[in-house]
Amino acid sequence: MASDSANLPGGKITFLLFLALVNFSFTIGIHNDNFSEELYVKPFSSGHVMFHFQFTTVWNVSIDKPESFQHYHLFPKSLGDVLTTYKVKELHLSQTQGLWKHEKWGYPPEDAPPGDELWVWFQPHSGVDQTWADLVNALSGLFCASLNFMDSKSTVQPRWSFRPAGLASEFYSADSRFVRYSTLPREVVCTENLTPWKKLLPCGSKIGLASLLNSVKIYDGFYHSLGVHVRSVCQDTQCLTPATELKQTLTVVYDPTTNKNGKQDWSFQSMFDRTLQSQCPLADTRKIYVDVTTQETFPKFSLSPVPDFVLNQKRSGEERKIAVYQIGNHLFASSLNLKAMYEEKLTFSNSSLPPVYANRFVTGYGLERGGVTCMIYNTMSSNTTVIFMETVPWFLRVYFSSLRIENDGKEIKPYKINFIPAKDRANPYQMELVFRLFANSVTKITYSFERAFLKWTEYPPDANHGFYVSSAVVSTVLPVASQYTATSQSVSLLEESFSDSSSSFFLRLHTETLLVSLPTPDFSMPYNVICLACTVVAIAFGSLHNLTTRDFTASDPSKRKGLVAKLKSFFKKEKESPENKLDSKEEETPSQKDKDNSKSEEKDSKEKDGNSET
Amino acid sequence: MVLPTAISFVCGVILRLALFRSSLPDWLSTKTEVVTPLTSWGRAMEGLALHREGISPYSGDIFHESPLMLKILGFISRFSPNTINLIFVLLDIIQGMILLRIANTFGRHMLLRQATSVKNYHPDAKKNLLRKEDLMDLQFYVTVAFSFNPYSIATCLARSTAVFNNIIILLALYQMLKGNSFLSAVFVALAAYISMYPIILCVPVAVHYFLMSRKGGMHYTDPTAVVSYLQILGVTFMSLAIMLLFSMLFVGSWEFIPSTYGFILGVPDLTPNLGLFWYFFTEMFEHFRTFFICVFQINVVIYTIPLAIRLREHPTFLFYMLLYTIGIFKSYPGYGDVGLMFALLPLWKHVYQYMRNTFVTVCMFLVCTVFAPIQYYLWIYAGSANANFYFAISLAFSTAQILMATDLLFGFLKREFYLHNGDKHKLPDGTDAQIILDS
Repeated sequence: MASDSANLPGGKITFLLFLALVNFSFTIGIHNDNFSEELYVKPFSSGHVMFHFQFTTVWNVSIDKPESFQHYHLFPKSLGDVLTTYKVKELHLSQTQGLWKHEKWGYPPEDAPPGDELWVWFQPHSGVDQTWADLVNALSGLFCASLNFMDSKSTVQPRWSFRPAGLASEFYSADSRFVRYSTLPREVVCTENLTPWKKLLPCGSKIGLASLLNSVKIYDGFYHSLGVHVRSVCQDTQCLTPATELKQTLTVVYDPTTNKNGKQDWSFQSMFDRTLQSQCPLADTRKIYVDVTTQETFPKFSLSPVPDFVLNQKRSGEERKIAVYQIGNHLFASSLNLKAMYEEKLTFSNSSLPPVYANRFVTGYGLERGGVTCMIYNTMSSNTTVIFMETVPWFLRVYFSSLRIENDGKEIKPYKINFIPAKDRANPYQMELVFRLFANSVTKITYSFERAFLKWTEYPPDANHGFYVSSAVVSTVLPVASQYTATSQSVSLLEESFSDSSSSFFLRLHTETLLVSLPTPDFSMPYNVICLACTVVAIAFGSLHNLTTRDFTASDPSKRKGLVAKLKSFFKKEKESPENKLDSKEEETPSQKDKDNSKSEEKDSKEKDGNSET
Repeated sequence: MVLPTAISFVCGVILRLALFRSSLPDWLSTKTEVVTPLTSWGRAMEGLALHREGISPYSGDIFHESPLMLKILGFISRFSPNTINLIFVLLDIIQGMILLRIANTFGRHMLLRQATSVKNYHPDAKKNLLRKEDLMDLQFYVTVAFSFNPYSIATCLARSTAVFNNIIILLALYQMLKGNSFLSAVFVALAAYISMYPIILCVPVAVHYFLMSRKGGMHYTDPTAVVSYLQILGVTFMSLAIMLLFSMLFVGSWEFIPSTYGFILGVPDLTPNLGLFWYFFTEMFEHFRTFFICVFQINVVIYTIPLAIRLREHPTFLFYMLLYTIGIFKSYPGYGDVGLMFALLPLWKHVYQYMRNTFVTVCMFLVCTVFAPIQYYLWIYAGSANANFYFAISLAFSTAQILMATDLLFGFLKREFYLHNGDKHKLPDGTDAQIILDS
């Protein structure tokens, strides 16, 4: 902007010069943000390879002061406007396809459940529910996702599981009135979500690490997860003034062994169908890290080009070797095509299990009742306390009385329980349990539910596919960093968390989503059902109306004819009625033979009299 | 007939106790025909579990009992499962005792009424009159109809909380027959407090109260008559208001109102049962839902007006007919209501001979009762049938109930006609006339 106005041709040079100077000084003052792009590659012993892209923008203005969100430079304005309009303090959005396999892959840098997950801390204000409803609609447009379906039916206010990840006062972070959490387990994530995500990057998608993000290849992977995380962080180590951090992550897991003749070879070219041509000039940090801890063990592999240096990461006893590439150092001659060449074919072996992991599944048969079982494994030799959170849609009526936590056949009493029962078509079941996991044991959480019968309009188009139940969330603090790859909460960059010296690691796990079938009505016959049910009501109404409004009278049984006779007489009457009338008038004394006729005549006249009276 | 009555009563109790030892109770307590969301023991226990945890049972959508029931059930649930089973047998014994008393009082009541109105009867109607001996047998028939009634047994075994409702309705009827109209009105209010619909039963109680105090040929629209109606209505609504107020004080808020009466009126739970609501509102178009809910709810109570006018001389029968229409058309009907109908049916033994299609109705009841669980199994578990199969059974069951109710009303009215006009009707030419309904 400053250069634009300075380059303008014109006569009033002095004025423009002045303007340029003002602008320049202004821009210097405002460009208090920095951007970094990082890629973390980690091969797993299962043959899969993870690529984790992390783009971090830190802007030295406080998110608590919306008026300071004015002069955007690196921070995306589209997102900034949404954050300030809807009084957001912290926002975490993940859009994931596939399931992260904790037993095989350890912990991901950003744990995310299948589908979409959004949790937001709002600035303290009244009417958070309305703000949330507006926010999800705005984000829905911004990220091209069905976030607008995160209505009260799927939104909860977790008390313990989702505390602010960034700077927040103790008092504020204990107040669950300002947090909203919701998931869309059925959401399909695809290119249309990646494009708006890439647009938030300061360098766009044509330059820098983001140019590797070829959607054709990314959506070919085993697992991919997009993340947008906004939080408050410290500007410096003294932490006197807050800054706003926007962290965009993309995790993708490939299985190169399938088309590499059983070898785990990977390269940018084979994984993304592209090589890295450029680096983002706006970024301060531009680095690629490759986990080479297993490089020397079987199967051996070599990297090309050779890394700038290898970092020995020590995180609470867990030692890892990280090969570091400064992107700028490898772009002089040609484009960078990072490659790993394995000497041998992959042999499958049991990988070491992570300290805590969980599995969850549905039990029972039939479409009436069922249950959910969640197994939480603790492979550490020490006890640990976990928070288990579960959100169940209202149409699975969870019986709180059936909730059991068992460890080795013994029932465990949770320290704390937060159970909020569902209201039909209004809010879901919310369950938060705090309990202890014993060392080297499996803890089983079970509860049973009853399936509700929905209205025919409440079923999705493919009703017999079933309904998804969002992942359970297990939160804990680990004493060891075994298989832990997430950035620590106190820092922004991956680089900084490699030299992390803390002794406790916050872990959040998401279990599998569940697919539950509900009994379905026959969708094809609403009219028939309405007609039949109304007919039965009409039978009752008609009979009771008849019986209560009419009296018994004596009548001649010979006049009562069968249906055929009635029909005959009906048609005869139509033909002969004028003749009959004439006959009866002519004959003054009716003979025995014509008795019937005269009787009916009498009755007719009576009726006529009655009618005339009324 | 005292001995057979006692034997059948004891047999009924032993039968229930024996069946409680089988696996039948577990099976029955999940059957949607037997227990409804309103009367399910499992749901009541869930509500209590929440209550004990400090969570309001009315904040969820599983528990729909009234606060007073919460208190009572909370007391019962403290016992061991076997004792709870015994308590439910005991509740059935209480029901049986009240039924015996009702049968006894009913006989006396009918003879008294006959004595006062016999002067209006046709001389030929002598043989149609009730005799003391016939009425003595009533106790036996009522006991048999209750002790061996599969619907009552199923309700007891499933530990449906409908038995509380039934006991209170029976008490209301008993007090009405005894002449304690005000007490009866209080019981009606209590029944209305538990399940809302019985509020219309205050109409027969009011009419009965007026008939008892009637002097001479006072008309039904006479100011004195209106005053006596208002007295009963006043007692009913006052006691209902007091109960609601106490409930509010007990629970601490009015949130139980939408969770109990709102639940009955709005029909948000579409669990299948043998009523008309569930599938109708599953398949209803969203635009017309409110309209049809109004229509169906009005349909439950609208019969009060024509029946009250037509049966103004017979408040006991009016009471029974209203109970029947509630049982058919309420939003969550269960076997508890059907059981009550059948237990009281022998009271109208003298009407049976005038009914027309008992055979068809009985066959329909049998077929539906047998087929309902089968069709439900095929739909929900086997997956080889769909909702329409069960819907057909529920429609047929409702139709059977409707046929039975209208047939009984028809028989009753026909008998009344014979009493007043004699059963021999000759046309002017000397041939036999036929009695038909005419406008």
